Amino acid sequence: MSVIPLQVKSVEPLLSVRDLKMHFPVKEGIFMRAGRFNKAVDGVSFDIMPGETLGLVGESGCGKSTLGRCISRLYQPTAGEISFEGRDIANLKRKELMPFRRDIQMIFQDPMESLNARHTVGQILEEPFQIHEIGDRAYRQQRVKELLDVVGLPARSVTRYPFEFSGGQRQRIGIARAIALNPKLIICDEPVSALDVSIQSQILNLLIELQKEFNLSYLFIAHDLAVVKHISDRIAIMYLGRIVESGAGESIYRTARHPYTQSLISAIPVPDPHHHSHRQILVGDVPSPINPPSGCSFHTRCPKVMDVCRETAPVLSGDQQPVACHLYE
Amino acid sequence: MSDVILSVNNLMTEFNTDEGRVRAVDDVSFEVKQGETLGIVGESGCGKSVTALSIMRLLPQPVGEIVGGQILLDGQNLVDLSIAQMQKIRGARIGMVFQEPMTALNPVHTIGRQLTEVILLHRKVSKEQAIRQGIEMLDKVGIPSPDIRMSEYPHQLSGGMRQRVVIAMALVCQPRLLIADEPTTALDVTIQAQILELIKELQKDLGMSVILITHDLGVIAETSNSVVVMYAGKIAERGSVYDLFDNPTHPYTRGLLESIPRLETPPKSRLTIIPGMVPGLLDMPKGCRFENRCRFRQEGCLSAPPGIEEIAPGHDVACYRWQEVRAEAVAGGDSPNFKLSAVA
Repeated sequence: MSVIPLQVKSVEPLLSVRDLKMHFPVKEGIFMRAGRFNKAVDGVSFDIMPGETLGLVGESGCGKSTLGRCISRLYQPTAGEISFEGRDIANLKRKELMPFRRDIQMIFQDPMESLNARHTVGQILEEPFQIHEIGDRAYRQQRVKELLDVVGLPARSVTRYPFEFSGGQRQRIGIARAIALNPKLIICDEPVSALDVSIQSQILNLLIELQKEFNLSYLFIAHDLAVVKHISDRIAIMYLGRIVESGAGESIYRTARHPYTQSLISAIPVPDPHHHSHRQILVGDVPSPINPPSGCSFHTRCPKVMDVCRETAPVLSGDQQPVACHLYE
Repeated sequence: MSDVILSVNNLMTEFNTDEGRVRAVDDVSFEVKQGETLGIVGESGCGKSVTALSIMRLLPQPVGEIVGGQILLDGQNLVDLSIAQMQKIRGARIGMVFQEPMTALNPVHTIGRQLTEVILLHRKVSKEQAIRQGIEMLDKVGIPSPDIRMSEYPHQLSGGMRQRVVIAMALVCQPRLLIADEPTTALDVTIQAQILELIKELQKDLGMSVILITHDLGVIAETSNSVVVMYAGKIAERGSVYDLFDNPTHPYTRGLLESIPRLETPPKSRLTIIPGMVPGLLDMPKGCRFENRCRFRQEGCLSAPPGIEEIAPGHDVACYRWQEVRAEAVAGGDSPNFKLSAVA
């Protein structure tokens, strides 16, 4: 029997980000002039395919949330390209963005802050349809019912307010709102970080099911590498506004190349008392993105620092598992 | 046993709320031995922090109250002590570290002032000596140029550095017991590794005991000698760290261990879940508190809460059906996460 080769179709990426920069002006002095800039995102490029999850991992202040907010165009990026289905949305105006807002949705960490406390769940879930002027009243209410069912909430939730729900249920409301308009890409910003362990697994399962059912793409932002690895097809590791390494989840975990990725993985506490890790404890803290170190921004904490690292910044390079580190040049 | 430093016996703590009186900690007992780390693990609202606050006698007043049980520190019952007597114990014999270092530090006083305050309160030393001891302690917790840091304010430090200062304050009088309530939850994973390592080193140096409260089973596995698993105000399971991870026997403990994604689990596979959620303190089930989420539930679980039962030396479980749970585990009917050994 001859093996039929897989149809290697060159699928176009859903999202393609090139050299994206987001520099926030730091206003200081009596005239509040912007002399310096917080380079929260400083030259980031990646693709997301339809139906794919890209996990974005990094410590607080590395720019991962800012990056998510640039892509959903809550921020206007300073420079670079965000092409969604082939069209650059980085510089679109408010009105021009409207059709894209249907396709790109967000789920936030704290649903209590991202859900309007004065609206009932019914109103919250109906709002996207009203904004985009979709369907009549009866249709909307029907859709709200369906959405509640999809995310596993009882139909009677419609008349309740967010505070009447537990953290996990509120996150389900946030998810229902995000999928209301059948988006193509959902940016999940730490969606399970605030939840208890037993609830976290419920939400992760839901996100994975929804992805399969609706062929969603996710940009999954989190600091917990075990969670990110579980849900992602590919992972990108960020440090001080740049991607330092990316690749398939499994290979990042098994053969991490960048010294930062290696120490990040070794720092994760393993839930097994027999496990004795050879931990690489990083010294010091993440430097300020306002005044990042010269050369490779990780050189101040890197256990394998060389002279060249202090002077020139390494470039992200490589095919399967690109890494930005002078060790691999 | 003389090497037991702290012994909590049948502790019950209640709160007055607008909707009625709730029991946040119900019949909790455990011991902490000299030099060991006891981990208390559980999800939000399980009573782990209230247990810590009860030991420190820092329950919010006037709503919180210890209504029963004993807290014996070196044989002395803390429940009976006056406020003044307790103040001599806090900071001197028991140190405490909280989750959020910014709220534990006073933003308008320098690090030095806050650190020397503890020393001057508990020790008969001059101000100069206190400053010297403070600088030494900052050095010990790994703060670079400690003499300069003494005159800085909390906002000038990073989160990890602030937590080091809080640890320095808790340990400067060399207490016999440190209570750390989610000390690394607000920190990044590389900083968490630094802080856990620091606590371990100081524990070895000073020979103190630690109660570590966390929701992170990874942190428990790495730091604790013995573990208490709490659920809805009660102890579900108690034993050595190996008992708990190798032979988890309460359905809740098993559920927790199965539901965490691990680096080895295949990507996008379905995670085991514990269905439903924790019942509210105001409408606790009459029987076992885990009953509404438990797949081992039977008629018998519904009438009265199970008592805690020793199933192996030092390994206690509060479950009517622990034998069935154990039998299923040994038969290998579920998750391969556990290395199962034969039932004792």
